[in-house]
Amino acid sequence: MVVVVLPGILAAEAGGRKRFELDAPTVGDALRALPVADRLLDERGELRTLVNVYVDGTDARARGGLAAPLEGGETVRLVGAIAGG
Amino acid sequence: MSVLVLVGTRKGLFLLESDESRRDWKLDGPLLTGWSVFHAVLDTRDGTIHAATNNEVYGATVHRSPDRGETWARAEELGLPEESGLTLEKTWHVEPGRPGEDGRLWLGAAPGVLFRSDDGGATWEPVEGILRHETRDRWYPGAGGMCCHSVQLDPDEPGRMYVGISAAGVFRTDDGGESWLPANKGTAADFLPDPWVEVGQCVHKVLLHPGEPGRLWQQNHCGVYRTDDRGESWERLEGNGLPSGFGFPLALDHRDPDAALVVPEEGAENRVTNDGRIGVYRTRDGGASWELLRDGLPQRAWGAVMREGFGADRLDPPGVYLGTQSGSLFVSADAGDTWLEAVSQLPPILSVEAAQWS
Repeated sequence: MVVVVLPGILAAEAGGRKRFELDAPTVGDALRALPVADRLLDERGELRTLVNVYVDGTDARARGGLAAPLEGGETVRLVGAIAGG
Repeated sequence: MSVLVLVGTRKGLFLLESDESRRDWKLDGPLLTGWSVFHAVLDTRDGTIHAATNNEVYGATVHRSPDRGETWARAEELGLPEESGLTLEKTWHVEPGRPGEDGRLWLGAAPGVLFRSDDGGATWEPVEGILRHETRDRWYPGAGGMCCHSVQLDPDEPGRMYVGISAAGVFRTDDGGESWLPANKGTAADFLPDPWVEVGQCVHKVLLHPGEPGRLWQQNHCGVYRTDDRGESWERLEGNGLPSGFGFPLALDHRDPDAALVVPEEGAENRVTNDGRIGVYRTRDGGASWELLRDGLPQRAWGAVMREGFGADRLDPPGVYLGTQSGSLFVSADAGDTWLEAVSQLPPILSVEAAQWS
């Protein structure tokens, strides 16, 4: 079981729910299980460029990206990169 | 009966409501907080609001609300096929289908693509005839990306519609979207070595006159144009009172096919409204002459009005709505003769769309 924490704009898209507890062997599996998966991944299934994923505070891109393994017990935090104005 | 104006901004959607006098406006919003609303429209067939929504981080999508913004659903399927080599960049314009075409909607998007929905906006399929158009290798993006921003349906011919894509040009289908013909003859691409190309024109906005569907108006990067033969040929309409051919917004008077309104800018290299004021220019003789309308509009302003930031309703006389990048919405209840500032200090306005609401 891992905990996934959404940013506010995506929590609004998920009916107001900010935390999800789910079973997922990889970061990609965790993201694809969310009701906002299409906002995190593009139509190719790739992580959108400006979406950052932190697993217990470490950037998932440094741990293999979507393929990064999850053992259970981690907190996966989704954060939008600083962009726009 | 009331008039509802949907105001899309860089930071959410606002709704303004008034009675038919269109003098006093009640403001509601922001809705869709966090999303840039490039365009929002009320589908008068069923009362659903559809919004083309974009976020720098979370991508492009379409939202819809059956209850005037209280609850929203997001498109479930919207994307481009892998073999196209393209991915969806931005959503630009939602056009409801004709009366009787229940559930059908069209969506113009970047990079130069058109989608169709037959289930009220839940799922969207790319229109192959645009996606794989034989001239696509001669299209390229304008400053706003390669956006399909204009989608116009012929009200009388079920198979006929038009799209405007920057910078690809205008395309017409007569078979419901299977095949698309370039419809750019007479529109200049002054920024190319040969300005009279088949495709590649930087069209900024195209509108079809509902009472005379063979007539369309076009605001282009290089001029204002009119066609009377379904886009087979275009006539350039500059001069005679119009200070510049460069601009983005365009509005029509539903009562009069000879009338059109534009808000020109100084030029491509200085994109502010002409002469240090916000001025609307109107023709009532098919573009042969233009008059400046400025009663009630700021006379000391260097404004900008986006391509969707201007529109008209279907009342008599028609209301005209002008939203600025400075966050003001100006309303004329008399076809452009006089203007009132209905609201100010909104986020930068990207779109306005008016509907009658009962």
